[in-house]
Amino acid sequence: MTPIIQCQNITHYYGNRLIYKDLNFEVQKGKILGLLGKNGTGKTTIINILNGYLKPQAGVCRVFGEDMDKLSPKTKGSIGLLLEGHIQHSYFNLLQIEKYYRRFFPKWKRDAYFGLIEKLKVTPTQKISTMSCGQRSQVALGILFAQDPDLLILDDFSMGLDPGYRRLFVEYLKEYAKDGNKTVFLTSHIIQDMELLIDDCMILDYGKILLHKPTKELMEEHPNQTLEDIFIELTGKY
Amino acid sequence: MYKSLLYKEWIKTRSGIACLAVIFLGVGIYSFMKINESIRLLGIVNLWETAVQKDPAMFPQFKYLPLLAGILLAIMQYVPELQFKRLKLTLHLPLNENKILLTMLFYGVIAVLSLLLITLPILLLGLGQRFPSEIVWANFQQLAPWFLAGPAAYLITAWVCLEPQWKQRILNIIPGIIALSFFFLRAKSGGYQPFDPYLILLVIVAFFFAFYSTARFKEGVQ
Repeated sequence: MTPIIQCQNITHYYGNRLIYKDLNFEVQKGKILGLLGKNGTGKTTIINILNGYLKPQAGVCRVFGEDMDKLSPKTKGSIGLLLEGHIQHSYFNLLQIEKYYRRFFPKWKRDAYFGLIEKLKVTPTQKISTMSCGQRSQVALGILFAQDPDLLILDDFSMGLDPGYRRLFVEYLKEYAKDGNKTVFLTSHIIQDMELLIDDCMILDYGKILLHKPTKELMEEHPNQTLEDIFIELTGKY
Repeated sequence: MYKSLLYKEWIKTRSGIACLAVIFLGVGIYSFMKINESIRLLGIVNLWETAVQKDPAMFPQFKYLPLLAGILLAIMQYVPELQFKRLKLTLHLPLNENKILLTMLFYGVIAVLSLLLITLPILLLGLGQRFPSEIVWANFQQLAPWFLAGPAAYLITAWVCLEPQWKQRILNIIPGIIALSFFFLRAKSGGYQPFDPYLILLVIVAFFFAFYSTARFKEGVQ
C-alpha cells in the first residue's frame, strides 16, 4: 500500500546549522503519527517541506504520491493544514471565514464548523483577531473538520492551549480518525495527552530521529512510564 | 472559488478603499474650490492667459495621491498575508498558485484603476466647464503619468510586501523608487506624451514582479 506521506533522505541546513541529515519516514493511511521534539529540532521545518513551503538541500517528500513542491490543487484540497499558533485569516469574523472557505471544498461540512463555534461564547460577527488563543484554535479546528480532509497536518497544535482546550482538540482528533480512513500527521512539543491520541511516535532530536515506533509498543516496553517520561529520558531535560 | 478569493481581498481592503474614495472626493472638491477662488481673484480671462502661457498644473494636489493610493492598497492586501506567513494558507487552497496570485493582483489593480478612472473624467469634465478643450487636454497630459503611477506603485509595493526576506525587500525598494520616479519627471504639458507608452509598459512588466517574490516565499527563503 502506498504511504500517504513518504519522506526520503531529507537533509536540510539553516546556514551552517544542520537540521536533519538523511531523514526517512512514512505515514500509512489511517494512522496518527506524532512527531515530537523540543523547540528548535525542526518540527515546523518538516511541515514546511511537506507542504512545499521549503526546499530542502536534499531529498524528497511525497504526499498522496505527489512531490511536495508540485502538489496539485486536488491533493491540496485533501490536506487540512493547521499552521503553528492556529494562524487563520483573523481579519474575518466567524461568518465571513466560513463563507470564504466553503466554496473551495466540495465536501464542506457546515455543521462541523458551526458545532464547534457554538461552544464559543462569542457572537458570530466577532472578528477572529479579537479572540483568545483557545478560541482561535477552535475556529481553526472547525475549519479543518468542515473541510473533511483525508489528511490532517497539524503544526504544534497544542501551542498556547490550556489543558481544557488541548483535551478538546485531542477528543475531536480521535473522533475524526476513528473510522480508519483519515490520516493525521502532527507535531507537538507538549507530550501530555499524546499517548491517548497517536498511533505512531517519532521523537526528533537535533539533526536526527531518536525513535520511531508504534506508541503501543513503546508504552509496553516502558511500563509504569508516561510518554512524557520516555521523551525526557531520551532527549534529556533541557 | 475565485469569487471567494475576491471576497477575502474585499474584506481586507473595503475600509481602506472607502477611506481613499473619501480622500479623493475631498481633494477633488478642494481642487475645484481653489480653481474657483483663482477665477474670482484673477478673473477668468487672466486665468486662461496664465494657463496658456505658464502651463500651471490645475490639479497639483493630485500629483502624489494615486501613488499613495496604490501603495496603501497593496499594504492593506499583502501585509496581512505576510504577517504570521498567512500566505501559506492562501497558497494551500485547492487552486493553481499562479492563478491565486493573479486574482489577487487583478483585484488590486482594478480597485486602484476604478478609483482613478472615476476621478479623472470628473476632474476633466469639471475643468471643461470653465476652460477650453486645449487646456483640458494639457491637464490630461499632466495628470496621465501621475495617475499611471497608481497601478505601478501598487504592483511594486506588492512585489516588496510579498518578498519574504527583509534584506531583499530593501533591495527591491531601491529599483522600485527609481521606477516610480519616472512618473514624476518635470515636464511641460505634453512633454511626457512620447514617454507614456513606456510608462504603460513599466506597469505591465511590474505585474510579474510579485510572482518572483511568491516563488521565493514558496522556496522558504528567509
